[in-house]
Amino acid sequence: MTEEKTASASGSILVVGGGISGLTTTLEAAEVGYEVFLIEKNPYLGGRVAQLNQYFPKLCPPTCGLEINFRRIKDNPRIHVMTLAEVEKVEGTPGNYNVAIKVSPRYVNENCTCCGDCAEACQTEIESEFDFGMQKIKGAYLPFGMAFPARFVISSDIIGTEDAQRCKDACKYDAVDLDMAPKTLNFNVGSIVWATGWEPYDASKIDSLGFGQHPNIITNMMMERLAAPNGPTKGKIIRPSDDKEPESIAFVQCAGSRDENYLPYCSYICCMASLKQATYVRERYPEAKIYVFYIDLRTPGYRYERFYETIKEDENIFLIKGKVAEVSEDPSTKNITVVAENAVTGEKIHQTVEMVVLATGMQPTTTTAKLPADLKYNEDGFILNDFDTGGMFAAGCANKPADVVSSNQNATGMALKAIQTLVNR
Amino acid sequence: MADTYLIEPDLDFIKEVGALGGEDLKKCYQCATCSVACAISPDTKPFPRKEMIAASWGLKDRLVGNSDIWLCHNCGDCSTRCPREAKPGDVLAAVREYAISAYARPKALARALRDPKKLPILVAIPVVLFLVIGTITGLLDFTPDLSEGIKHYKFFSTWLVDMHMVAAAIFMIAVFAMGLKRFLGDIHQNALQEGKTDKEKIEVVGFFVALLKVIPTILKHNKFSDCTENKEREIAHMLTIFGFIGLFIVTSIVFVFIWGSYLLPSGPIHGPWSMWNPIKWLANASGIALIGGTVWLIINRRSKKDQKSGYWDWYLIYLAFGLGVSGMGTELTRIAGWAFICYLLYFIHLVFVFCMIAYLPFSKLAHLVYRTVAMAYNEYAGRNF
Repeated sequence: MTEEKTASASGSILVVGGGISGLTTTLEAAEVGYEVFLIEKNPYLGGRVAQLNQYFPKLCPPTCGLEINFRRIKDNPRIHVMTLAEVEKVEGTPGNYNVAIKVSPRYVNENCTCCGDCAEACQTEIESEFDFGMQKIKGAYLPFGMAFPARFVISSDIIGTEDAQRCKDACKYDAVDLDMAPKTLNFNVGSIVWATGWEPYDASKIDSLGFGQHPNIITNMMMERLAAPNGPTKGKIIRPSDDKEPESIAFVQCAGSRDENYLPYCSYICCMASLKQATYVRERYPEAKIYVFYIDLRTPGYRYERFYETIKEDENIFLIKGKVAEVSEDPSTKNITVVAENAVTGEKIHQTVEMVVLATGMQPTTTTAKLPADLKYNEDGFILNDFDTGGMFAAGCANKPADVVSSNQNATGMALKAIQTLVNR
Repeated sequence: MADTYLIEPDLDFIKEVGALGGEDLKKCYQCATCSVACAISPDTKPFPRKEMIAASWGLKDRLVGNSDIWLCHNCGDCSTRCPREAKPGDVLAAVREYAISAYARPKALARALRDPKKLPILVAIPVVLFLVIGTITGLLDFTPDLSEGIKHYKFFSTWLVDMHMVAAAIFMIAVFAMGLKRFLGDIHQNALQEGKTDKEKIEVVGFFVALLKVIPTILKHNKFSDCTENKEREIAHMLTIFGFIGLFIVTSIVFVFIWGSYLLPSGPIHGPWSMWNPIKWLANASGIALIGGTVWLIINRRSKKDQKSGYWDWYLIYLAFGLGVSGMGTELTRIAGWAFICYLLYFIHLVFVFCMIAYLPFSKLAHLVYRTVAMAYNEYAGRNF
């Protein structure tokens, strides 16, 4: 795929963020012959996509595509991957940026074979951010089964404790290095692509939807983890309060999105995500009743529209036009009653279900952590692409709410923009 | 929803609702959050989502004669929760203002009540009537005898007061009677059309039973207590309304007593009454409640930046406030012995009273009647409200 057929081009590109967009930009630019520094703040690549169970509309696992991308990265000497790395400073002009990258210690070096002895030895358990706190993991952990780089991480939470020493002592390969310190790397690049991605909107901010108050109200990203074979339940969709297999589920669309009180914009993916997740439930529990409460079902394009048509035919899936504006929990059964007005019939519905999934939207990562670079943002916090100035570009969900397909198209385009900056300098 | 019909949008109506405070109406995308956010909206055909689309589409007939616009108590919970900031609460308030004008006759007077430029004329009507009729009949004495202290009837005869106030009240009742006849017919028609009732006709007895049932709800402000956004308004409104009721009772007693005393061989007995008379206690307590309530309402409205308040609202609140202040002022200056100020305040007070009574069906205060009737109808129609 990436044999040394192309001559090495001059100049290098910094890609910030190792999610699907960042991976795409990196690979597209590197495979044309440019040197790319890919930095990722997490200890693994893959970003949000790595957390998903299946892609829509093909319902295939994202791990498949990720694996191919990881392979391409491994084979390409022009790509320099840095995980646990964040941009500290950017100075300069298009074609000539001096960047400072802060790399946090992983405390595990390249000797790691993923044998897992350190995790075995570690006694402290920490919440798994990857699984949205739905399970505890050891203080020494592999982010997920096919993480890239395939190397354990020692959580900074246990550094300085006896546990850290236990991990070191347990390692047969001398891979645990507790003396690793944060370091700052400086280098020069010609252009920068910001693929800083998104965060699920904090559902506990939505007062009326009871997230964080009632255990059986979860978010759509939590649903992905429940359905994923490598998730906290090994792919079993069970409700948090009592591990019961739910016989009825309500999906609450626009949970925070299209709402001036929360996120004013449409997050683009949630409608398709819920319809997709309805298939997860149908596959596991053919008798389960599924209620999707929506304002408008937005399934743009031929493929998505066809997916929606199929779902619509399902006699156990009820699509109800009306936003859920109130939820309550029955303290004895822990069942949830959602209330909405069906705008088609003009009747209020009080639907009691065993589990509720909030279709929360995406918020650009940059709303909570502004980037140390001279970038323009729109009122929603997404990075505006200023092609007149050039040099720095936003790709994927750093730029707008998008699905994987459009993120990849956009990321490919930004790879070209980054290359143009180098060529024109 | 299978039935189709041709929508005939009334564009002027849409514009007018916008001008009356519902200018964000078109932002609505029909998510129906408002219908659920509203604590008092019924389960069958809840409001205000359907009112929002009817207003957007200019379906005037579905709104003006729709009892649901009156079930709303304008607490603003829907506007706060609205994801589009379309302010359904303000839209319904605008539609109610439109509806009051629509049922009031003569139309010119209804228009005048909504136009601040016409305010001087409206105030001038009682002033001129009092002066002209008072001077012609000699019932207004600008040099009253002060030998027995300040006696209001010596300045402004009780005859002069009541010939105006009774006439104003008859006018008011007649205007309401005509308006209500059409109103009841319209809301029943609308309820049948929207499937809100299974009652074919409005039966008088059943309707009055329903009316009696809702009166305690209204007095206890039960529907106000359900609001979350504008909770402090409940007590302010309660003080105002109980102030009014108290003053109405006092006025009725005094009215009967004065005219009754004409039958006494010793001749009529005029005020002022003793401060130790329980009726006086009620009068003073009511007056204080009215002033306190209206001041609270004014502060409350002024502090609410997210809710529209226009001339329509301020006219009523300040009139009620002025009524209380001028009444209380008349009493206090009488006790102080400031004859000129006292008589002037009394004159102003009577002007306010006349405005309150005569313009009632045309002003925002008409909600007293329309909301009561709508709530009674809703009770009669059998919806869970």
